[in-house]
Amino acid sequence: MMQAEGTLSRLAIWTITALGLIVIYAPPLYLLGVSFNPALQPGLPHLADLTVKWYLALSGETQLVAALEQSLLIALVTAILATLLALFAALAHMELHQRRTAWFLTVLLPMFVPGVIQGLALSAVFQRAGIKASMLTVIGGHLLWALPFAFIVILTSLSVVKRSYLMAAADLGAGRLRQFLDITLPLIRPGLVSAFIFAFLLSLNEFTRAFYLAGRQNTLPVVLFGKMNAGASPTIYAMSGAIFLVSVLCVALVAGPALLRRRAGPAE
Amino acid sequence: MNRSLLPALGLAALPLLAILALGFVPLMVVVVWSFWSWDPVTYWIRPDMSLAAYVAILDAGRWTVILSTLAKALVTALLCLLIGWPTAYAVHFLAGRRLSLVLLALMTIPFFTSYLIRSFSWRLVLGRTGVINTLLIEAGLIAKPLDWLLFSDFAVVIGLVASYLPFATFPLILSMRRVDPVTMQAARDLGAGFWTMLRTVLVPLTFPGLFAGFLFVFVMVAGSSTEVQMLGGAGASIVTVMINDVMRVANYPLAFAISTVVLVVIFGLVLAGNARFGLARLFGEGGA
Repeated sequence: MMQAEGTLSRLAIWTITALGLIVIYAPPLYLLGVSFNPALQPGLPHLADLTVKWYLALSGETQLVAALEQSLLIALVTAILATLLALFAALAHMELHQRRTAWFLTVLLPMFVPGVIQGLALSAVFQRAGIKASMLTVIGGHLLWALPFAFIVILTSLSVVKRSYLMAAADLGAGRLRQFLDITLPLIRPGLVSAFIFAFLLSLNEFTRAFYLAGRQNTLPVVLFGKMNAGASPTIYAMSGAIFLVSVLCVALVAGPALLRRRAGPAE
Repeated sequence: MNRSLLPALGLAALPLLAILALGFVPLMVVVVWSFWSWDPVTYWIRPDMSLAAYVAILDAGRWTVILSTLAKALVTALLCLLIGWPTAYAVHFLAGRRLSLVLLALMTIPFFTSYLIRSFSWRLVLGRTGVINTLLIEAGLIAKPLDWLLFSDFAVVIGLVASYLPFATFPLILSMRRVDPVTMQAARDLGAGFWTMLRTVLVPLTFPGLFAGFLFVFVMVAGSSTEVQMLGGAGASIVTVMINDVMRVANYPLAFAISTVVLVVIFGLVLAGNARFGLARLFGEGGA
């Protein structure tokens, strides 16, 4: 590509890009560093002092562990349901030729509903309908939050399924189900895995909806929120650091190969 | 025609049911309930056609919270565009293949990490004993810690930019992918320098991305709560936090009325943006 920006302009552009990344990543990475510091006062540890004692101490924090178990279970169910529904929604999008824009918007719009408002609305309606707050109500809230993201991921992966493949299969006598199982499914399997992991992480890290919808057993972010405001302790740094690190690694594992594939594929 | 639509309807049924039952219906119920009035006998609301809750939005300082929410959304969206546009340029035009993939991955990760943890981590950076104050004191630039760094509007806006920057960067990258490089080359051949080319060709051509990025960030900030709860000063508020506060005293009609106003603004903006630029097209999913 032609490079006529001039050194100074290019330097300015890279500086701003780096600034954006620093604003996003520096604080949580610093928090992660602090979680390996043996001292009670937050600060970066010296290399010689690195410790995992706060991580080991987490097993003694029964409240955090119970919340983590609840969150993992909710995230698992949410991810399964969101991936399935998003797959149906994406396949429907493929079948709809003229009206697909309207369908695209319908699935995407829940993304823009503020968490507080969706949580409040669902909890008020559940309460009036006599449905007790529980794991299921949180899953209901999280499902709507994760669905649009899973939908976009699966839709993107569906772009590799060429119409001609399906027509060829149909010519050879394959019904719709056979076409899906033998052609579409193998091609979009990576997209389904990505959608599942993304939905899992969105649910695991979701706070404002769970704040309204959780029953007796709160989810991890709700418990963390309470503890963060009641005076943070090193175990909170450790739990936050661990969740952040796991989230980053999961996305990196999924996004890396997915982005590579997209670039390698035919141009849009 | 109708026959070919059948499989689509069958596939769409379940997701549509979930979206209606968990999203559309509860939100519509909230809109209806915002016109009902509080009944102290049942400790709940009763059917009515009252605008009392909407009138109450206008008093007792609630109006200023709405204004400050709009201000925060505006400032954050502009800052995100100022950082996001050069970032998108770097990703699309400057970076080599591998680096641009790394940058794209780095911009994807924030969507799926905890906004709570990321906001909270700013406390360690901006606090009285945080990184910035410690560095400034060690450098001899200040004698005692700066208090306005944390629990202030300054901290909130930084936290919001950190949270929602990728919502601006992605539409900008997508809009730059749609720019035909020939137009930029033509500008150059006609003697335009880099900055003239930006001003007259590239920025106008990325206007859909700028608009979508602004819209996404604005809408996300209008619905955000965590950043203010973690980083805002005493009495700091934003509409969603105000809804929380109103709910704490069980003032359902008022909470529902504020929610309705926020929903109308957000969906108005998103649908208007869609009508003008086509959100679906931005994701590379053409309408036809």
